[in-house]
Amino acid sequence: MASVDVALPASESVPAPAAERGLVEECRRGDPNAFSRLVAIHEGLVYNLAARLLGDREEAKDVSQDVFLQIYRMLPRFEGRSSLKTWIYRIVVNQCRNRQRWWRRRQRDKALPLEEMTANESARLATPSRECPEEQVARREESGRVQKALLKLSLDHRAVLLLREVEELSGAEIAEALGVAEGTVKSRLARAREALRLALLASEGNAS
Amino acid sequence: MRCRTVRSHLSAYRDGELPAETTREVSLHIGSCDDCGRRLREYEAALGELQALPRLACEESIAARIHTHLEVEMRGPGLTLLFRPAWSARPLFLPSLIPAVMVLLVVLGTVFSLEREADRLPPVYVRNTGQQWNGPVPASGTEGNPLFPSATVSLPRTRQGDPLLPQLLAGMGQRSFFVEMVVGRDGRVSAVTLIDGDSFEAAPILDLLRHQRFEPSRVQGRPVAVSFYRLISGTVVRAPTT
Repeated sequence: MASVDVALPASESVPAPAAERGLVEECRRGDPNAFSRLVAIHEGLVYNLAARLLGDREEAKDVSQDVFLQIYRMLPRFEGRSSLKTWIYRIVVNQCRNRQRWWRRRQRDKALPLEEMTANESARLATPSRECPEEQVARREESGRVQKALLKLSLDHRAVLLLREVEELSGAEIAEALGVAEGTVKSRLARAREALRLALLASEGNAS
Repeated sequence: MRCRTVRSHLSAYRDGELPAETTREVSLHIGSCDDCGRRLREYEAALGELQALPRLACEESIAARIHTHLEVEMRGPGLTLLFRPAWSARPLFLPSLIPAVMVLLVVLGTVFSLEREADRLPPVYVRNTGQQWNGPVPASGTEGNPLFPSATVSLPRTRQGDPLLPQLLAGMGQRSFFVEMVVGRDGRVSAVTLIDGDSFEAAPILDLLRHQRFEPSRVQGRPVAVSFYRLISGTVVRAPTT
């Protein structure tokens, strides 16, 4: 990969497994356009997962950049034993975990909650909304409450919940992404769901 | 089935991962137990809210950020090159060792060849003593490094005459000897070297000369050793008069 001096394509949908393998091969051969396509395809899911895991947009931006730089450097060693998407999720979770450790070492474990998004920022949501302003405000408040509850969970619980409920991965895919056994995923998922239920109940109790 | 067991199965029940028999038992229990039914509804609601979270998109292109980062990284020299991490410095570090090693070899080769040249130089001798000299050069005006007569350095004068010398000179006939003498700072003769003449015949003369005493030459009031040549001959050579 000698150069990245290419036009960046707009965001693309995740390709089929065969196309994905082709894309990986092209990246391995050093095709800069292929890497740009790979970034364009996956940047949305990487940023969303990082932002939800960390609860901080600026950190999510930095993590997303670090994730793709790591992919760029490690892609020649990607063996294809798992899917590219699962591999990317694994890198995202590990990067977020490292970032959180860094915060803890510096006594800075207070993320800027995402519910503090301004009206302008809500326009950056990946899925454009046709709701009226009142509905948008209510929806934003609801999202903020869920994000706040999510941030009360451990990073392991957040990761397993987001991969399952938001990214809709199977138990086997989550096990690959987190580097744990499938049985561990099931038990962790059960505990994480219960923790989220309690966190949301607590937030409702505080609100009322 | 007890409430505690049902609650431990709720996650797998929701995902449809329980065996058919267990699923049926959990369903029956939930239908009959208000607490477990409410808990399942809360459970579903919490996960529903999580799933309903909007997908966030970055306001600036991540691809563009990476593009810029990689472009700066690959642009080469400049501050980026100076402050690059160690792993990226490695590809440049190793090739740069080659000219460094070559320069080092040239320097070492030159040093060794100069060392060998120095070895081939002849050993230093002090002519007066005939001994090999390896140490530092003695101070000027001492017996090891005498001065030569000049406008500022006079010839040492004989302190006392030797009665045997004229007698020996008289017996020499036409023979003559050319000698170099070194008179030390104490007026004693520190060295006599025969330069021209038969050494066997000159031996008694040289012995006499060694025992002569002189008034040492002085430079700025300080006695100095002086080396001078002397023709010992029985023939009187007179200078032409004008």
